[in-house]
Amino acid sequence: MILLDHASRWYGQVMGLNDVSCVVPAGITALLGPNGAGKSTFMKLVSGQLRPTTGKVAVLGERPFANGRVFRRLGYCPEVDSFYEEMTGREFVTLLATLGGFRGDALRQAVQHSLEQVGMLPNADRRIGGYSKGMRQRIKMAQALVHDPEVLLLDEPFNGLDPVGRREMTDLVRSLAESGKCVLVSSHILYEVEHMTRSILLIHRGRLLAQGDLYHIRGLIDRHPHRIALRSNTPRELGRALLGLEHVVSARLDDRDPCRLEVQTRDPESFYSTLPALVLDGGFHVTEFESPDNNLEAVFRYLTEQS
Amino acid sequence: MPDLLLFRLALLDLVRPKRLAASAPLVLLPAVLAVLWKAAAAARERPFEAEIAYNTLAGGMIFGFILVILAVLFGTGVVAQEVEQRTIVFLLTRPLPRARILLARFLGAFVGITLTVWLSTLLLGAAVFGVSGLSNSIVLRDLGYLPVGALAYGGLSTLLGAALNRPMIFGLFFAFGWESWIPILPGAFQKMSIMTYLRALVPHEAEDESATGGIMERLLARLGPDPIPPETAGWVLAATIVITLGLAMFIFSSREYAPREDAE
Repeated sequence: MILLDHASRWYGQVMGLNDVSCVVPAGITALLGPNGAGKSTFMKLVSGQLRPTTGKVAVLGERPFANGRVFRRLGYCPEVDSFYEEMTGREFVTLLATLGGFRGDALRQAVQHSLEQVGMLPNADRRIGGYSKGMRQRIKMAQALVHDPEVLLLDEPFNGLDPVGRREMTDLVRSLAESGKCVLVSSHILYEVEHMTRSILLIHRGRLLAQGDLYHIRGLIDRHPHRIALRSNTPRELGRALLGLEHVVSARLDDRDPCRLEVQTRDPESFYSTLPALVLDGGFHVTEFESPDNNLEAVFRYLTEQS
Repeated sequence: MPDLLLFRLALLDLVRPKRLAASAPLVLLPAVLAVLWKAAAAARERPFEAEIAYNTLAGGMIFGFILVILAVLFGTGVVAQEVEQRTIVFLLTRPLPRARILLARFLGAFVGITLTVWLSTLLLGAAVFGVSGLSNSIVLRDLGYLPVGALAYGGLSTLLGAALNRPMIFGLFFAFGWESWIPILPGAFQKMSIMTYLRALVPHEAEDESATGGIMERLLARLGPDPIPPETAGWVLAATIVITLGLAMFIFSSREYAPREDAE
């Protein structure tokens, strides 16, 4: 639904995005990257606010810049926390729905539905100037949803939301994706993203560093051994046994927790398939088992370190 | 309907307390000066020549200053206001053609400029001729032509707002530099000023020269070419309005307004 073909964007001498090619299908895709990586440039190119300097950007088969046909089918929740402060939330969403072509009953219903979706009905008739950060975030989301778009671009949608709000927003985004929409979420709160999707686009210094399934990408990073933490009442013996495996690179006891052992392996799959037999044969007692590297934070850290 | 909403939005922008506070002294200034003029004449026991006072203040203050400065303030804000408060992203990601967005907001600014200069003119008229004198033909003529000036200056200011990143700086230079000096330069230079054509269309014959400029300005004015016929002035102003607004719509439709984010 979204296509970037060797798209680059320069701001004078400064590079915003460099030769990025990717396809964003239906479902949820997370756009990740550290500050200044080019996430906002990416979002602005896709939302038709900027043109690529070179290459091509297409949304639903069309170039999005100032393209009304694309905007009818695209919803954009920008990162900026700027509003017409004197308006009520309902007036704001109504204004933008009207600019989107809604009239009469259809307009009222669409506004009501979008306010309900984001949980803003009780506060819809209050001035935006008096809203909390979370409410502002929700009303921004409502204006992006009001015309029921096929493609939804959410730039840092969880900013300012409390844990309950984040959960509700995550559920909403998931339900939108389940209904067949293409949702591109830019976020620095990796935890929420990880709970929403495994499909990621990782940008660093304007370049697309990785694209695809989170776990698949993690598996490709063979330069960095995969960490696995185990808790046992005999960690030293367990570590010695694990070091005997060909793919285990190191075993280290935790200074602060004497029962915790951290192992690094170059082949996680072999490790996981060998471990049960090794534990049973050696008579080890393993009470906890986790992989700190199997989360997005670790993938993100490794990839950005590599680049 | 969307055009009406955008028009209303632009108009509401103009009645914000900050803008009202900036406009109020400008609106009152000609009337206050007229009252002072009247008081000075009475103190010196000289007759108060109402028509001269009105023409001097209307020509020098309302047409020559307030109209221009309000057009710059409101006209550049048609685009710049949305860019500065970062709400432009909401407008530019809707299916409404950008040219329509600009035109609707320009009309809001135009109505704002016109109403403000009308109010200033009415207050000046009341201060000079008394409330009963508001139906004076000179006052009514000025009320009729002020919207033409608002369209011409508003159009140019909107063009500056659409094309430049800091339009206010250029607008103020235009108001205080270009439009103050070009109309009094000798030769064909003055034909490059909107004010020249506006003055040709709405002459304030009895302007008190001692109040509007020094000896140098009067000398330069005497060296100028033949007066421009009102018909020519009308056509030039109409062309200015069409060209500036057309260009503004074209630029607004094709220019990028997303600010570069250094910290994403």
